[in-house]
Amino acid sequence: MNCAECRDSLIAFTEGLLDHEEGLRCQAHLDACAECRAEYQAIRSLQQRLIARGQATAEVRIVEPVMRRVRHEQFKPERETIMSKLLKHRWGFGLGAAAGAAAILLILLVSTPKAQAKAVEVMTKGAQALAKLTSIHFRGQLRAYPQDNFGSINPDGQFYTIELWKQFEPELKWRMEKPQRVVVMDGQSTVMLIKTGDIAVKVPQRTASAFDTEWLHRIASLSDTIANELKNAQAKGWKLSLAEETGADGRLKSVVTVRANSGLPEEDYGKNKFFENADTRRVYRFDAQSELLESVQIYLARPSGELQIFDLSKIDYNQPIDPGVWQLALPADVSWVQEPQKLPDNQKYSSMTAAQAARAFFEGCGRKDWEEVGKFISPVNQQVKDYLGGVEIVNLGEPFNSKNYPGQFVPYEIKLPDGSVKKFNLAIRKDNPAGRWQVDGGI
Amino acid sequence: MDLTDKEHVERCRDGHPEDFGLLVDRYQKPLFSFLASRVGNFAQAEEAAQESFVRAFLSLKKLRKPESFYSWLLGIAGRVAKEQFRSELHRRQDPEVAEAMMTSAADHNEDYPVEEAIAVLPENHRQVILLRYYEGLSCQEVAIRLDMPVGTVTKTLSRAYVLLRQELKSREGADRTVNKTEQL
Repeated sequence: MNCAECRDSLIAFTEGLLDHEEGLRCQAHLDACAECRAEYQAIRSLQQRLIARGQATAEVRIVEPVMRRVRHEQFKPERETIMSKLLKHRWGFGLGAAAGAAAILLILLVSTPKAQAKAVEVMTKGAQALAKLTSIHFRGQLRAYPQDNFGSINPDGQFYTIELWKQFEPELKWRMEKPQRVVVMDGQSTVMLIKTGDIAVKVPQRTASAFDTEWLHRIASLSDTIANELKNAQAKGWKLSLAEETGADGRLKSVVTVRANSGLPEEDYGKNKFFENADTRRVYRFDAQSELLESVQIYLARPSGELQIFDLSKIDYNQPIDPGVWQLALPADVSWVQEPQKLPDNQKYSSMTAAQAARAFFEGCGRKDWEEVGKFISPVNQQVKDYLGGVEIVNLGEPFNSKNYPGQFVPYEIKLPDGSVKKFNLAIRKDNPAGRWQVDGGI
Repeated sequence: MDLTDKEHVERCRDGHPEDFGLLVDRYQKPLFSFLASRVGNFAQAEEAAQESFVRAFLSLKKLRKPESFYSWLLGIAGRVAKEQFRSELHRRQDPEVAEAMMTSAADHNEDYPVEEAIAVLPENHRQVILLRYYEGLSCQEVAIRLDMPVGTVTKTLSRAYVLLRQELKSREGADRTVNKTEQL
C-alpha cells in the first residue's frame, strides 16, 4: 500500500470498515510511514474529541419540553384578547403565526371586518385549546378511493373511514389509516403500507406529516389551519364567516365557515381530485364553552351544486392511545418502493419525453421485460406483472399538465391480458435524483 | 429524503410549527454540548438549550438565511448563556462564589467548542458528523438513515474532518493569540 492508497483508506480503517487483509496492509504502511501516521493520529484525535462531545449528550432529550413550550408560547400574546390587541396595533404582526395571519386578515377585510374577525377569534381560541393537548384521535368519513393517495377525493364514490391518531407528548407520533392504506410515524421513522399489492415506502426519519396526509394533520393542529385559511384569505380572497347554533346536546356552538377556492379552472384535470385542488366549503363547529373543535364538514362546491365529501364528528382529546397503534405489521412478502438511482445508461432515459417513457413502460410490460419496466416503476411486484404482463398499446395520446402536479399525464388506451380495454391517464414524473420518468399513478 | 434546514424553516413559517420539533431533534445534542462548555453545568445547559430553541422559534421570521439556521441558533444560545451567567452572578451576590464561577467558566472555555466549527460545514457534511457522533450511529447506520452508500459516508466524513481541522486550527490559534495578548 502506498501513501495515496493509505490516505484513501484511512477513514474506513479508523471506522473498522476494511476487511482483515486490507486492515493489515494499512496498519503496516502506518507503522512504516511517519507522515501518514501523523495524519492518522490527527484524525483519531479529532474523532476522540467528537466522541467525547457526543457521549456527554447521549441522554439529552429536549424535543418534547421545547415543543410543549412552543405550543404554549405561540398563543401567549393573544391571551390578552387577540382581536383588541391586533386592532390597537394594526400593522403589528405579534409573535404567533395565528396572530400575524389575523393581522393580515384584519388589514385586508375592511369591508366586513367584524364578522370575519369574530370567526378568526373563535378559531384562535380553538387553536389555543388544542395547543394544550397531549393527544388527539379523529375518525372521519371521506369520499375517496380506498387504496388511493391520502389527499385524493372521489366525488362519485362512497364514504370510507379515515382515522388519525396523534400523540404530542411525551414524543410526537402519529398514524393515519384508510381501508387500503396506513402510515405510521413511530417517533423514529415514517412508513406507509399500501395494502393493495403489499407495497411499503419508508422515510427514515421523524416527520410532522408525510404521504399527502397534511390536510388532516392541519385539522389536528388548528393553528396550521388558521394560518392556511388566513394566508389564502389574503392571497385568494377566501371568505370566513361565523354563526351560532344550539347543538343536539343543547349547548351553544360557534360555527366557522370557510369558502376555499383552489383557483384552478374547471377544465384542469386535477380539479376536485385532491383537497388542495378542490373548491370547498369547510364548516368547523366549536363548543362555545370549552372552545374545543367538535366537528368538521367539508363540501365540494361544483357548478352543479354542493356535495359533502368529508365528515368528522368523532374527536377524542387527551385519551390514552394504545401503544400498539404505533406499530405497523408488514406482510412477510412486502415490496419496498426504491427511489430511482442513476443508471450507467441514465442519459437514455432522462432524455425521454413523457410520451416516450409511457410507451417504453407499456412496451416493457408487453414483453414482460421486468428489468426494463423497473426503470419506470418501483416496485415491480407480482401484482404489476399479473395485471400488465403481455399488455398491448392501443393508443397513446398527447401528454398534458395539471397546474399543481409536478409531472405530466399521458392519455392511454391499452388491451389488458384478460382481453379488456382500459382507457385512462398515466401520471408520470421525473423530479427525482436520477431525473428519470417514474410512473406515479393512473394504472 | 431528509428535508434541509432551509426547508424545515420555510415550512415552520408557512404554518407547520410541528416541523420545528424536527429541527430541535436535529440540533438538541450539539446545542446542549455547546452550552455545557459555556455554562459548565448540565442542568443549566439543558435549561439554556430549551430557552434558546423557544427563542429561535419565536424569532424564526427574522432569520434572513434559513439555510444558516444552526449558526443562527448558536448565536442565540451564546446570548442566552451570557444572560444566564449574569443572572446567576446577580442572584448569588457573593464575590467569592462569583469568582469561583468565573474561574469555572474560564476553565470550560479552554477547549474551543467544536460545535461552532461544525456550524461552518456544508449541511450534508454537518448531518453526517451529527449522526455519527451525536446520535452515535455507525457508518453503516448513517448510510441507511441517509439512504446513501457507506463509501459516500466515509468520503463525506473524510472531507468534514479536513474542514473541521482547518476551522479548529484557525480559531484555536486566534484564541491563543488573544489570550497571550491579554496576558502581556
